[in-house]
Amino acid sequence: MTIRGLRILPPLAIARLGSSPEPLENYDVRVAENDPPGFRKIHGAETLVVDRHSGTIRRSYTPKSIRFKDRQGRVRPVAPFLEVWADVDGALVPLTAALLAKNKLTIDDVEWRAQVGNHKAFRRTGKAPDRIDADTGWFRGHRPHPLAGQCENFLDGKSIPFGDVQFIRPSRRFPEIRLRFTPPKGLIYGAVARHRKADVADIVYDSSRGTWSGYSDDDAVPPLIVTNPSSIYANTGDDRTTSRGYLDDECDGIVEVRIVTSRKKPLQAFARIGAGPPDFAPDSFPVRTIADDLEQALLGPDPKDDEVSSAWTEEIIRRAFETVRLQNTAALNGNPLEGGVANSMASQDAGLGRAEEPIMAPAIVDSLALQALHQSVFAALRSGSAPWFGQVLRQYDDVGDLTDRGRRRMPAMMRGSDGLHLALTRRQRNAVLGSGNQQATSEDARAVTFTAPTTPPGKETE
Amino acid sequence: MTTKARPKNRTARAGVPLAVQAMEGQWAPKRIGSAALHEQLSYRAAGNPPGTLPTTAISNCFPGLELDFRNVWKKLFVGIEMHESDNLVVGTDLDPEEIRNLRFHRLVKVVIPGPEGRIDQPLVINVHGPNPRGRDTNFGPQALEWSNAFAYLVAAGGKKVTCEFTREREDNPVGPDAPTRRMTLLVRNFFEPGSAVIARDLVEPGQLTQSLCSPWQNDYRECACYYWAASRPDYVNVEAGPQGPSSGENWMQVRGSGAQQYQPDDFSSAGLLTYEDIFRRWEKVLRFEIAGHDTD
Repeated sequence: MTIRGLRILPPLAIARLGSSPEPLENYDVRVAENDPPGFRKIHGAETLVVDRHSGTIRRSYTPKSIRFKDRQGRVRPVAPFLEVWADVDGALVPLTAALLAKNKLTIDDVEWRAQVGNHKAFRRTGKAPDRIDADTGWFRGHRPHPLAGQCENFLDGKSIPFGDVQFIRPSRRFPEIRLRFTPPKGLIYGAVARHRKADVADIVYDSSRGTWSGYSDDDAVPPLIVTNPSSIYANTGDDRTTSRGYLDDECDGIVEVRIVTSRKKPLQAFARIGAGPPDFAPDSFPVRTIADDLEQALLGPDPKDDEVSSAWTEEIIRRAFETVRLQNTAALNGNPLEGGVANSMASQDAGLGRAEEPIMAPAIVDSLALQALHQSVFAALRSGSAPWFGQVLRQYDDVGDLTDRGRRRMPAMMRGSDGLHLALTRRQRNAVLGSGNQQATSEDARAVTFTAPTTPPGKETE
Repeated sequence: MTTKARPKNRTARAGVPLAVQAMEGQWAPKRIGSAALHEQLSYRAAGNPPGTLPTTAISNCFPGLELDFRNVWKKLFVGIEMHESDNLVVGTDLDPEEIRNLRFHRLVKVVIPGPEGRIDQPLVINVHGPNPRGRDTNFGPQALEWSNAFAYLVAAGGKKVTCEFTREREDNPVGPDAPTRRMTLLVRNFFEPGSAVIARDLVEPGQLTQSLCSPWQNDYRECACYYWAASRPDYVNVEAGPQGPSSGENWMQVRGSGAQQYQPDDFSSAGLLTYEDIFRRWEKVLRFEIAGHDTD
């Protein structure tokens, strides 16, 4: 039972902001067996209650229902646990006090460190003193360690709280070695100049030292060095989108664990953490996620034959459906609406010079109609009769095809990381293609779904 | 919502994606192979709700919500730093000189060695479609997103590959046929060796969120677009309308402000949440949507 190495799992943990002192309880999200394309159901799951003072897990329970805000209307933060696993004889097992003891170690030999940063202002100004960084340094013990964001251009004594990390004290019932990251509240911080008092929790940025307040993307050299999309910061609303100097408490970074042993090198591992906004539709999931991109990086774009499955394809379509269900697809199609025209891929394409017209035939894109359509795809997949589906998926290098046919490929009406029409990861697309009959043509697909099959070409947008 | 947790499997079920099993609470291993990196990547720790998993974080990052994943590619090549969403070299090492001189040049193509032969991976495409007169028109070049363009390159971590850069500094986009010169660069490992964690020298703390909006609340108001509806919803409280088509509300509409009619988001319409609402009261005014309906 010699410990040969350590890992922290999960390798990437996402926390979500909220000001409630009560973290969000645990839950599972399951597909309803009797309604596969329906909304997933949220079920309470074992929730660990941490005593913040002692660092022990006081109890666990399974909630009857999940409330995403507390009684005062504050959002309950998502505060992930990160577990240490030990590599023992080629397998990872949870590191516990008992396993430490077998290796002549104790929990007092376990050290942690967390470093997070918010470099949003730095990304714009390019000036290192605008970096906001927090570092707990190496620590032992079980009290919460605050992540105080420090910045050279802050007013003296000011910092931005990025939450805290706490080494959970192992107990007989919960013997595992784990750390919890409790994220910050989701507050906005301001600069001496250009802030509106009610917007900000505190004034932290010294406008006499740094240039973040008053910064404009218009001044960037060369101009295309700015973020894409550009000018995404709170601004005064003038033509230059002059920055108000606002900062938030989102952050990302790493958590490290270290155990000094008699060996030459200490046992150590790290994982990544991030703190972002809540998931406001927790029973629905994006069609392409960071997990999909990480899987592609880890396993490559070509799934093995034994990796593809109809269940995987079904999950991809379910996620597309979950996005569509929460979109006004008529608006996103570029249909004229009472009250104006929405920002959509149709209008974005027009910005590039393309003729401005709806993407699909306007009559077929109502949200409920598309829901019915996706349900029929589900039924076809389950009965094994949807071999054409892979043909309608956009290839990653066809994102610039703004012809009618190109824009109607799936996922439709969505924007990718390059600002053009969204493509799935190549691995996702290959998984779909690998799971079905590829003899069908795209015309088969066209006849079944997504386009206006009976309208002659060239007349579809009249 | 029911309460009882299902018994957890310790081994994965064939066919069902691990990510799904993890979210459903049906895969909770007590032992994972040290080389089973996909299992490690998909693992959901005890007590963690599904929202902690990267499976719930959007990756059509323009710029994204939780993280801007594009940043992970910026330092893939040793010696240069790329723009997160463009093929523009924005930073270089000081030495050697030929590396230093690449600043503001553009990376147009990568030649990737592979077991089945080399792959000439273009990094730029031309955008085209009908102009207002219906004529197919080239609207100019555009860099592909890194994640898909570099899909085969990741396997070359630790090796040198041939990169084709523009011969001159190019502040503006160039097409796939732009004149280039070749250079050999070392590719960094994407993951820490033997693990499923993004390598330490690929992104430093603060870099995965650096290109998101500051503050993020501003983007919820300003973007007025709905490409992330499964996290930041658009169309909610949807019902079948009397004429057949659906009726519902814009997620950003002030509730109780009138008849249930969708209002397109254009920053300034009365009846929509304002910047001030979101800066000052986001926890109150932004609603959680369960089964597509307001549920706090």
